[in-house]
Amino acid sequence: MSAQPTGYLCLVLHCHLPYVRHPEHDRFLEENWLYEAISDTYLPLLRVMNGLVRDGVDFRLTITLSPPLVSMLRDPLLLSRYERHINRLIELVSKEVYRTAYQPEFHRLATMYLERFLQMRNAFTNEHGRDLVGAFGRLQDLGKLEIITCGATHGFLPLLNVVPSAVRAQLRTAVAHYEDTFGRPPHGIWLPECGYFPGLDEVLRDAGIQFFFTESHGLLYADPRPRYGVHAPVFCPTGVAAFARDLDSSKQVWSAEEGYPGDPAYRDYYRDAGWDLDYDYIRPYIQPDGKRGSTGIKYYRITGKTDQKQVYDRAWALERAADHAGNFMFNRERQVEWLSPMMDRPPIVVAPYDAELFGHWWFEGPEWLDYLFRKLHFDQQIVKPITPAEYLERHEINQVCTPCGSSWGHKGYHEVWLNGGNDWIYRHLHMAARRMEELTQRFAHADGLSQRALAQAGREMLLAQSSDWAFIMKTGTMVEYAVKRTKNHIARFTRLYEQLRSNRVDAGWLKDIEEKDNIFPALDSRNFS
Amino acid sequence: MTSDLPDKYGRTELVLMVMDPLHLFAYWEVTPESLQEAQDALGAEMDGARAIVRFYDISLIHFDGTNAHHTFDIDIGLEARGWYVPLWTAEKSYCADLGFVARTGRFHAIVRSNVIHTPRAGVSARTDERWMRVKFVRRRKPDRARPLEFVPAPEMPRRLSPEELRALEERLAREKALAAAQFGVGTMPSSPERGPR
Repeated sequence: MSAQPTGYLCLVLHCHLPYVRHPEHDRFLEENWLYEAISDTYLPLLRVMNGLVRDGVDFRLTITLSPPLVSMLRDPLLLSRYERHINRLIELVSKEVYRTAYQPEFHRLATMYLERFLQMRNAFTNEHGRDLVGAFGRLQDLGKLEIITCGATHGFLPLLNVVPSAVRAQLRTAVAHYEDTFGRPPHGIWLPECGYFPGLDEVLRDAGIQFFFTESHGLLYADPRPRYGVHAPVFCPTGVAAFARDLDSSKQVWSAEEGYPGDPAYRDYYRDAGWDLDYDYIRPYIQPDGKRGSTGIKYYRITGKTDQKQVYDRAWALERAADHAGNFMFNRERQVEWLSPMMDRPPIVVAPYDAELFGHWWFEGPEWLDYLFRKLHFDQQIVKPITPAEYLERHEINQVCTPCGSSWGHKGYHEVWLNGGNDWIYRHLHMAARRMEELTQRFAHADGLSQRALAQAGREMLLAQSSDWAFIMKTGTMVEYAVKRTKNHIARFTRLYEQLRSNRVDAGWLKDIEEKDNIFPALDSRNFS
Repeated sequence: MTSDLPDKYGRTELVLMVMDPLHLFAYWEVTPESLQEAQDALGAEMDGARAIVRFYDISLIHFDGTNAHHTFDIDIGLEARGWYVPLWTAEKSYCADLGFVARTGRFHAIVRSNVIHTPRAGVSARTDERWMRVKFVRRRKPDRARPLEFVPAPEMPRRLSPEELRALEERLAREKALAAAQFGVGTMPSSPERGPR
């Protein structure tokens, strides 16, 4: 890189979905989360980044690939189901091209979707050979992308910490999984839900992790007060670095009202052909049980606070995305120019987002990112994109502070994952973690069936710990599924625990749940001690 | 098919969890055996005794059971099995006992909880600075026992003009007020509605 810029921009995209895989059903509604995210977010992001590489644009992006997501993206069953999913969409949109033949503005969009989905299928099958994780890995090898890890199943660590071995298990399993996947340990981690508590950095250090991220007040309220606020990382007393989210840049992208994604020109997420078109016609493409639902084909733009939505105009939307990218860059330039004279080093602006915002919720998000990186590269010298690893290589001296316990959930602490709607889960999660510790000690040298049962108990415990279940119980949609998942994993764990203790493992049943809950095939039960 | 969970684990316990700087959650299970023991211990005093959780503020001390900064009780119904507890101040350490308090005031504890620390709800008052040099290691894990190298605090780049200093202070005050207000009304910047699609 050239001379030292005035400031740095560290864009972080958090890619995570809970582990959802139901071989026992032919079609399963919640598996669509993955299929939609592949089409809407992961493939478009890869296309944007590969395009930047092709055009010689020097960019830096940090992304989490959570272990459950990596596992799903490499699961043969889910991959073939994704192909079936995209083929079904191509079938629907081909009919749409025909149906809209006399409605030019819809016809144009149907054609756009057809081209898009064909291109997706081609990218997925041919360009990437069904290996999206490998495609992300190659961008990392080029030095453009920093892939960080996450909790093994995205467990919310501050609340699991009642049984500290549960926190260690989440982190050790994640790091081992990353090493298996990418052939080297991860440099950094996205703490699930940004959940930090003082002392967590000791576990991170022991796992070999060198940096993590916190919500803004994780550093603003750190002790002692950090001289540069959120605009420089601090070292925890253990030497692990903490970066914090910048308030201004976050709001511009996140906020549904003030943020870019709410622009009237952008595609409306909620208005979907699945609700608009004739039932018999749309029936094969909506929910497996015949209820209306999203198809992914959306013809309208946000328009405004009205039900009278107007038809989406792709060219106009892309123009807005370019404007917004310019505006974002302009604001970051002014921000770092303002901060820089007060600091002895270039300020860093850390802007983390849920990856699925880009493309899935905000359809034009990937293009916005594309324009932003191109503008940053060609149009100015003030702000340079950077990864946390590069920053820490250039700036080895940082202030020592203990970040404040925090999360990025509503109100900034633990309430989203601990409230009247989900608090019942914790007595079971904690008990399972204690019992897992006990099993690990007792069966440390087990082999054969007991060894397999022990590993499966570990998988069931980890799957029950996903913060996604508590989150869904709080938000109130699809609650039934989240409750069912929590209960099933805990029940399977409990049964394994009892069988192991009485030395009566049911081999047939074990084989069945090993096939269903098949995450972490190489799970090392020593991670649970 | 959804499996049912164990209703009880047959283990007497009291667990505290942090919800936010000003709220705790406590859950418990008391086995019939533990209950019997308590009744035996209190004997006749059990008549009219109340089930309570007694909280101890043990911030920055080695708690020996008697030296808490202060204590407070909440009345519980044992069958409730969980309770939210509002607090007065942030950034404290607590543990608690679950037990029975007799009309005479005698307290019989059945079980002691884990220790928890509530987070800060505002900017730290401490401004002393320590700085450290840490060498970043690529593609492998750093030695977990590497010595930490403390270094002198770097100089400010130059003296700030009075205007700049004022601007900086105003910005800090603004950020402080913003964060405090956001916690107050519950609008900490957070993820948009995500998850269930």
